[in-house]
Amino acid sequence: MITAQFNKKLWSAQGGMQLDIQMELQQGECLTLYGDSGAGKTSALRILSGLLQPDSGRIEVGGETWYDSGKNINLPPQKRNIGYVFQDYALFPNLTARENIAFGLRKGESSALLEELITITSLGELQHKKPGQLSGGQQQRVALARALVRQPKLLLLDEPMSALDHLTRSHLQDFILEARQRYGFTVILVSHDLGEIIKLSDRVAVLGNGVISREGSPAQVFMQHKISGKFQFSGKILGIEQQEVVWIVTLLIGANLVKVVVTEKEIQGLSIGDQVIVASKAFNPILQKIRDL
Amino acid sequence: MLEGTPLKITFELAAVTTVLLFFVSVPLAFWLSSSRSRIKPVIETLVSMPLVLPPTVLGFYFLLAFSPSNSFGQWLDEWLGIQLIFSFPGLVVASMIYSLPFMVHPIQSGLASLPPSLKEASYLLGKSRTTTLLKILLPNIKSSLLTGIVLSFAHTVGEFGVVLMIGGNIPGETRVASIAIYDQVEALNYGAANYYSMVLFAITFSILLLVYLVNGGYLKKFWK
Amino acid sequence: MNRIEGQISGIQVSGSLSLVSVDCKGILLKSIIIDTPDTSDYLATGTKVQLLFKETEIVIAKPGVREISLQNRILAVISAIKQGDLLCSVILESDLGTLEAIISTNAVADLSLQPGIEVLAMIKLNEIMLSPC
Repeated sequence: MITAQFNKKLWSAQGGMQLDIQMELQQGECLTLYGDSGAGKTSALRILSGLLQPDSGRIEVGGETWYDSGKNINLPPQKRNIGYVFQDYALFPNLTARENIAFGLRKGESSALLEELITITSLGELQHKKPGQLSGGQQQRVALARALVRQPKLLLLDEPMSALDHLTRSHLQDFILEARQRYGFTVILVSHDLGEIIKLSDRVAVLGNGVISREGSPAQVFMQHKISGKFQFSGKILGIEQQEVVWIVTLLIGANLVKVVVTEKEIQGLSIGDQVIVASKAFNPILQKIRDL
Repeated sequence: MLEGTPLKITFELAAVTTVLLFFVSVPLAFWLSSSRSRIKPVIETLVSMPLVLPPTVLGFYFLLAFSPSNSFGQWLDEWLGIQLIFSFPGLVVASMIYSLPFMVHPIQSGLASLPPSLKEASYLLGKSRTTTLLKILLPNIKSSLLTGIVLSFAHTVGEFGVVLMIGGNIPGETRVASIAIYDQVEALNYGAANYYSMVLFAITFSILLLVYLVNGGYLKKFWK
Repeated sequence: MNRIEGQISGIQVSGSLSLVSVDCKGILLKSIIIDTPDTSDYLATGTKVQLLFKETEIVIAKPGVREISLQNRILAVISAIKQGDLLCSVILESDLGTLEAIISTNAVADLSLQPGIEVLAMIKLNEIMLSPC
């Protein structure tokens, strides 16, 4: 169980902003922080990890106090046992993939977990390469394995997959789900990708201007209304073109392009790049078996 | 053949100065690159002063401070048995201060050019500042370290004013090549002056060339 | 998307399917969904819901049609028609509010539809989605 409540005055190009966060997480839960850039998501992660000191507040993780402004407690990042995956991965360029992961081991700690992590991230072949020789997805796997090598109670992921292509992303999401089940850590994810959020998180907290404005399950937060349609996907609008009295919207759902017809009333308020929920009744789609070739 | 000669003293001084300076500058540069202390600008200014100050100014104050007639010089002499005026150790101390920016600046800017997340990632993996500095930061700024070392060495080799003021011109003890050249020219002994000059020129040229070759990656083929 | 508000007046469950009857200002509309009161707590008599259905799923008929399988019928008056080459958007005013139907331009001509005419808007029950208000 993690309870955190903290304040911090942040300064940005747009001026000052008061970060005022209150959150509570169950052991093993995955919470996504969602919001515009500059809303304070990364700052919140940095405060939890001890890289940034809040002005006041209290952070307690599994019965252990990490920060308490009233009692002058402030554990340094070294003592917080957090797995943190940075947006830029922050792999050590001078160390090989294996050495990067092993760097987190404590003195005299056995390398059994190291081997296990290398195996489940499928880094066996690549473990002796330096980060500069690895692709983005491979680097990401190293960063994830490294974050897990100290068996953290809390894993913080700061937009970990924003720079990856869809397929790589999907593999990594599967890996995170699998690792979460295996090791039972709690996750706080910063993400903009609706599909990713729905796939990975139990709960979403929408951060706007330094405060959590809305909170709930991904479905509650992202769908204006609950809809009974069973044929539902989240996707991104790639194109909009008018055809006579209707508009044809091209969507990217997963790795597939689909087209949906909408009317004039609906097209207002939609623009290219928007994330949308596509819903239909389960009665409509037809299924056709793909013949084995 | 070089026993006690100005050239030997020059390179001994440069070597000792560079080694000691390296160990002083790494922590100082690390502190400067990561600190947000209010006195940081003052320290930064002090480190850079030798760049703009005439060496004679520095030498003059050294002379005053370390002179046995002065209380600090007296204390050094009585308690530690060190006499810094007109001695080789004195030259080393003066050279270290005089070459400080040449070692600190490259290392500081090397450290500042690394993404802050490297340091933070290491802290989050439970590593102390020292371990982080030694195992992660320094190995990733090798070319900055090389630049710092070589510039300090070459700069110490080329020193004149400070050395003259604080070391005097004691043959076999504090007479370095740059001063010897001056002496020989004064004595109209152009042949000897030319010899020292040629050696200094050739050696400093080779050292700097090597740095540019290494940092420019021209030697990569050979050293892997 | 057309939206109509109403109140659940009856639920008939069979396996994981439910046939939900919704009372919309006296007009009974039915929807079949893959949810039951056990899987969705809003499924209870008296709950206010919205019925959602696509403009393209509306069938328009002249009043008086009797023998047809569509039972969700709403009496409406055409208020406007936007013409395209192949498709037309027909705006309908009914007791349940404004509805839009997209039908073929051919059909509009065949039925000689024009503003002011009274028609029946019909929707298949498997095309209606429910959303709790």
